[in-house]
Amino acid sequence: MRHVLSLATALAVIAGAAAAQDDYPSGPVTLLVPYSPGGSTDRTARALATVLEEKWGQPLVVENRPGAGSMIGTAALAQAEPDGQTLLLNTATFATAPAIQTDLPFDPREDITPITMVATSPYVVVGGAEVEAENFADFLAEAREDPMFFATAGVGSSSHFTAELLAQQAELPGDVVHFSGGGDANTQLMGGHADIYISTTASVMPYVNNGQVKALGVLGAERFELLPDVQSSGENDVEGIDINGWVGMFAPGGMDAELVETINADVNEAIRSDSFMQLLEENFVLPGDTTADEFSQIVYDEMDTWAGLAESRGISAQ
Amino acid sequence: MDMLANLALGLETAVSPVNLLYCFLGVFLGTFVGVIPGVGPLAAISMLFPVTFHLDPTSALIMLAGIWYGTTYGGSTAAILLNIPGATSAAVTCLDGYPMSRQGRAGVALLMTTVASFLGGSFGIIILTMFSPIIAKYALAFGPAEYFSLMVLGLVAASTISNASAIKGLSMVVLGMLVATTGMDSQSGVPRFTFGNLDLLDGLGISAMAMGLFGIGEIIASVRNVDTGSVDAKNVTFRSMIPTRDDWGRSWMPMFRSAWVGSFFGALPGTGPSIASVMAYAVEKRISRTPERFGEGAIEGVVAPETANNAADQTAFIPTLTLGIPGSATMALMLGALMVHGINPGPNLIVQQPSLFWGLIMSFWIGNLLLVILNLPLIGLWIRLLLIPYNWMYPAIIIFVCIGAYSVRYVAFDVVVVMAFGALGYILRVFALPAAPLLLGFVLGPLVEQNFRRAMVLARGDFTEILARPVSGVVLGLVALMLVWSAVSAWRRRSADLAPEEMNSRTG
Repeated sequence: MRHVLSLATALAVIAGAAAAQDDYPSGPVTLLVPYSPGGSTDRTARALATVLEEKWGQPLVVENRPGAGSMIGTAALAQAEPDGQTLLLNTATFATAPAIQTDLPFDPREDITPITMVATSPYVVVGGAEVEAENFADFLAEAREDPMFFATAGVGSSSHFTAELLAQQAELPGDVVHFSGGGDANTQLMGGHADIYISTTASVMPYVNNGQVKALGVLGAERFELLPDVQSSGENDVEGIDINGWVGMFAPGGMDAELVETINADVNEAIRSDSFMQLLEENFVLPGDTTADEFSQIVYDEMDTWAGLAESRGISAQ
Repeated sequence: MDMLANLALGLETAVSPVNLLYCFLGVFLGTFVGVIPGVGPLAAISMLFPVTFHLDPTSALIMLAGIWYGTTYGGSTAAILLNIPGATSAAVTCLDGYPMSRQGRAGVALLMTTVASFLGGSFGIIILTMFSPIIAKYALAFGPAEYFSLMVLGLVAASTISNASAIKGLSMVVLGMLVATTGMDSQSGVPRFTFGNLDLLDGLGISAMAMGLFGIGEIIASVRNVDTGSVDAKNVTFRSMIPTRDDWGRSWMPMFRSAWVGSFFGALPGTGPSIASVMAYAVEKRISRTPERFGEGAIEGVVAPETANNAADQTAFIPTLTLGIPGSATMALMLGALMVHGINPGPNLIVQQPSLFWGLIMSFWIGNLLLVILNLPLIGLWIRLLLIPYNWMYPAIIIFVCIGAYSVRYVAFDVVVVMAFGALGYILRVFALPAAPLLLGFVLGPLVEQNFRRAMVLARGDFTEILARPVSGVVLGLVALMLVWSAVSAWRRRSADLAPEEMNSRTG
């Protein structure tokens, strides 16, 4: 009798779980954006939300929770119910921030479930008014001759870690200077106060296209297909940089595997929609479209890379 | 000429019925939140921000901008009549506006405020139109070293503005700077005074703090003392508004000077109308031949900050629209309203979106004219708003303040911050300690620290290199001169105080 009861309970639980996927989402979905309204992640989120809203037939509320290198919004996700009604769109800062903020009130591996990579692009190295080099080879020579200042969008941001990584792998002297966000960093380059800024295409290409800063190179072995004239770090014998910028969708930890699958498929379909693809193209960004496992692997590998770099370069908050 | 064609295009955009409607809506809402103490433009704009996703970007920006400069017009009404700044940029207006009101000259103060606001606003628009490209280029040359020295200048100047002793002002500036160190250190990532609380990692919100200090703090202080019955609506008739020839004579030079001061501080990122008004007041008090009249109902003390904050409201759009650097949180929201529509602010905005840029500028003229109409003939309406018995009004204001504080980041913790600073604001009043320098220290403190540390990295640890840069060197030299000057004049005052006839000149 007891066995029958527990079997019935188990069946009910499974049935309940299955039902949950069939009618997902069961109500309005909150999409957390851990950055200010108007930034490039916010714009991506709003474009994606429009497509998903139509697909799901439920309102998608984009909620901006900026602060602490995206960790405030991410912590809000970690505290949400793992029912898929609360999702988060974050960038590679999700992997860099924990390397420097070691006392976060959540475990980024346990309390967060990566869903899929929404978009990806290489990191572009841009030079400011005081830099004479026009390409990556000349930049390396100039930076070794005359140590440069690397502007970042803030301590612990991906621009901070990529600058440290490039300086380590290319054995460049120089100092990092932390500014308040990517707009500020680009402006400091324009004024010639700092020399180099490294960030994703979405955040630097508007300034490059306006002729305010120049694209010197992309980080990685190969050139980027959308910027064929820009040299890569690999072709200039700077090895060991195999890292790309990305925007990804996350859910709370402890999610049901089937629900993860459902959301992954729906979001990947939304990424391939015409309107979203057009936005990506305008920003020199490629679609992500991965499985949840592939994306988790990328995220966890990067977390290891950045934690190791934080140690070898002595970047630490403590 | 190109400029004429641009202005014609702008006018055409601005007078389209839809844009006229949003312009009116913006300035009306702005005046409303300006008159109500405790609710500032940041709260109002952040509450309305989501609406703009569904509007044409030009209309959206015209409305948000209307709220922004409309608040500054309205903010002075409560400052003059109740000694409560309706918006932080009107805080200095209390110093002389309220004494004028006590002397039965509220009407004159309100009229001169409107005149000063319109002149300041107009001057700001002209600067914005003519000098946008030039100022943008000039601002680009400002690096961390230059910002650091300018912020220090601002703080040193601020410590002399408050009516209380310079020591009290300076202590409040320092307290503000210390409070501002809460949160993650922007240069090393070390959490400071957060006690493991994630909400504190990003520091205390400026809006929550300002609302607490100036909104709740004043309300607690006012609940028993200020009864709105003391505002005599009959007192503010058109007749009572007519300034004397002496008022005009005293006002026109301060207005002219303050328009420049305001335009300068408005265009400088990190500063804005509040600091502009404080600086203009300080300048007028410094160069006045009768500085002792300040704080006792001097008309210069009303027109100077009101000209400056309105000029700054307009020129604040220069770095925002031409460089994409928002000078304040409110300006960051305006940028956001553009960017959700896929428009990238930068030097190319004027070229790529001429109807938006020039339409916005021309809407400023229309908005400023509408505000004169709203503030002169309709002044009775706004005064009636202040006539609502205070015991009905203050719960409503507190609710608005809490919603406003919450809506900035959607964090309930910010409501706690509002209440804590409300209590602090009240305590400061009890001990007659000025709150405005505290806010200034809070705003400028982190900028001083960050820019100093950036400048030191860029100078590779050599402070003399900061002194050797032309702009920062000259500004820091000015700071040194100001400190010497204050010390000397304090010493002189002390010797003068020894003279018996000066002994009883102390004022509350």
